[in-house]
Amino acid sequence: MSSALISDYVAGLRRRLPAAVADEAADGLIETYEHRLAAGAGEQDAAQAAVAEFGDLALVLGEFIRQAPGRRAARMLLATGPLAGACWAAALLTSRAWAWPVPAAARLCAGAILLLAVAALAVAATSRRSYRRTTITAAASPVILLLDAAAVTAVLLAAPALTWALGIAVAASLTRMAFTAWSLSRTGSAMAAAAGHPFGRMRHHG
Amino acid sequence: MKADAQALKGHLDTLLLASLENGAQHGYAVKEALRAGSRAQFDLPTGTIYPALRRLEAAGLVRGTWSQAGGRRRRTYELTPAGRQRLSRDRAAWQDFAAAVSAILEPAP
Repeated sequence: MSSALISDYVAGLRRRLPAAVADEAADGLIETYEHRLAAGAGEQDAAQAAVAEFGDLALVLGEFIRQAPGRRAARMLLATGPLAGACWAAALLTSRAWAWPVPAAARLCAGAILLLAVAALAVAATSRRSYRRTTITAAASPVILLLDAAAVTAVLLAAPALTWALGIAVAASLTRMAFTAWSLSRTGSAMAAAAGHPFGRMRHHG
Repeated sequence: MKADAQALKGHLDTLLLASLENGAQHGYAVKEALRAGSRAQFDLPTGTIYPALRRLEAAGLVRGTWSQAGGRRRRTYELTPAGRQRLSRDRAAWQDFAAAVSAILEPAP
């Protein structure tokens, strides 16, 4: 590989994407370039044709970010949030949850953590130019999982009686916990595969 | 006439799975298979194939493995059992849809 155009493109991939993802895309671009050279094109023409065939750097980076596992998982979690929230709101209101023996500090703390986790998921779900932002999901998902678990535990310990509304809210949380755990395992392994490198080198990506 | 990229997007997953049906391929080979199989009507930017393959891998439909080629790391993909099931389902759904559209569009005898 000797074309400056190809080298610059590969450097752009390596700056903005996890190591393994950048390696894979770079292999594809260089192979495209080598096919052009083998077909008889000069270095400059082959490089220009290869970049045109591979796709503009911004377009390719945008596709990697749009389809990043963390971004997709964050979107799915946010999409299920309003349903779980509505179930819990109905259950807590009908059960007069404000009278339960749960310390005010614990309620405030849970609320603040929920808001922070949702904000983190929103950052990952809306990322368009930064792959790194999509990886925030790996930190926010376990928090959502723990909050669902805390809500279920609070019902078991503090609710004077298990109403239908509480039962539905607990079922919604248990379903979401299973989904979050599944999503976390999928996203986690995909992120590990994206960041993985046989030589253990660390690269920065934006 | 080349296929519209936006229209193709809705079928990209099935086409990628179909291109891996006969054996493991890397991204460039998948892109070439799509181009050759469609008589150059499906000529997507090669760089957009890789994120789609990664997404299919995260969904458990394909499995990627690393190898070395020309002094570079190369990732090759193959269908998982879930990927084969999805392809079979998508193919049947497409054949039903295409048969129904053709039945309407073909001129009456």
